[in-house]
Amino acid sequence: MSQGRSVFRDETKLDINYVPRRLPHREHELGLLREFLGFALQSPGRMAQRVMITGDVGTGKTVLSQRFGVDIGHEASTRGINLRYVHVNCREYGGSLFLILQHVVSVFHPNFPKRGYSAEELLPTLMQILDEENAYIILSLDEFESLVEREGSEAVYKLTRLQETRQNKPQRLSLMCILRNLDTVKKLDASTRSTLQSNIISLNRYAKQQLVDILNDRVSLAFEPLGVPEGTVALIAELAFSESGNARFGIELLWRAGKYADAEDFDTVTPECVREAVSSIFPVMRRGDLATLGLHEKLFLLAIARIFKENQVACVSLSEAEQTYTVVCEEFDASPISHTQLWKYLKNFSNLGIVETQVSGTGGRGRSTTISLPRIPAHELEKELRSFFEKRLEKS
Amino acid sequence: MNVEDVFSSRLRMKILKILFNVRELNVSEIARSLKINYISATKHLKILEDEGILQHKMFGRIRLYRVNEQSPKTKALQNLIDTWEHQNEK
Repeated sequence: MSQGRSVFRDETKLDINYVPRRLPHREHELGLLREFLGFALQSPGRMAQRVMITGDVGTGKTVLSQRFGVDIGHEASTRGINLRYVHVNCREYGGSLFLILQHVVSVFHPNFPKRGYSAEELLPTLMQILDEENAYIILSLDEFESLVEREGSEAVYKLTRLQETRQNKPQRLSLMCILRNLDTVKKLDASTRSTLQSNIISLNRYAKQQLVDILNDRVSLAFEPLGVPEGTVALIAELAFSESGNARFGIELLWRAGKYADAEDFDTVTPECVREAVSSIFPVMRRGDLATLGLHEKLFLLAIARIFKENQVACVSLSEAEQTYTVVCEEFDASPISHTQLWKYLKNFSNLGIVETQVSGTGGRGRSTTISLPRIPAHELEKELRSFFEKRLEKS
Repeated sequence: MNVEDVFSSRLRMKILKILFNVRELNVSEIARSLKINYISATKHLKILEDEGILQHKMFGRIRLYRVNEQSPKTKALQNLIDTWEHQNEK
């Protein structure tokens, strides 16, 4: 930002690794985790548990487990219990049990050697360390699929049945397996599967309004007051919803849009900033798609682009778009076509991913269609279409 | 062992400086960082352990050495090295 001003108050609150205090719409699941693993505070060592958290990308699996980890670690320390929550992304370690265990051991002994022993030797080493330090671990295995794919049933079995080789000793290792769905678990043999599938927490995709709530929460933490208008949040929520209810995507988009606002020296994050941001994430507008459109499709799309370019709004009604289309037709000396045909064009734009449409108001007086331009910056779309018409004029 | 015998070795002083810095390390890593062989590192580590300055712990085949924080000798040595290094920095 040129003047040193920024729409951000604290952009780290939008970082992928930030764990917020509040998890909107995941309170129930957080409560379930407390139920399943609460014994670690009440009677540590008396039992160990295995919990599976499933859900699509951006449904809050990682942040849920990390929030729980921070909370239970804090609570344990106030009670004088040496309980560590260790979060490991299995994919970062190539799904190798050896490397994952090495990481866990390094939590206690940071300079533990990296070679000279096997994975089989590391498990008893870890238990020895836990016994000596009278420590307990909740090991969170994020992207669990990666471990299963690389190591198969054997490794998971070893982890889950570890306690059986330690008769009459405190139970020190509980597992949280985080994965997208249970398909991966089906690949495991029956006995391993049975040790895992007792406590399952499934996270549903976020609904649009839930995404709005999550984004508003982050807006209040990360941005200056009034820095992000309601319409901008609604547009980002709409986009995140169309990406399978992916909250992580929405938060990343919020950050990018803020960066575009700063680069333009804006006071607020406008919907156009979001479109700029999204075009940097999504594949850029396909010129080929525009070339295949007919004359009136191009005129209609130009009208839509102009509305969004000139007004900082997140969506417009079809009737507004039609009015601007009539003006555009006058400009290019064309006779406007019917409402029904325009509606069909709009459907085509939507299929091509250029715009998104939403039908609202199913009451007595019929429906109204609203149009949003989430992925393509309006000024780019307008420029592209204008250059098409300029070339056409040059030819004639 | 007399104090002059313990301090007469550059390698032993270097081992102490390493372990004061990183808290604990296995024999191979100590040998590697001092560019000496394993047997030589073990010999010096044993001398320091016999003096109660270091202690070790076994994890399977891995032997991790660390300073014995309970020993008054260790505290005195830490103080000496810290003061020395601090003065040299000035």
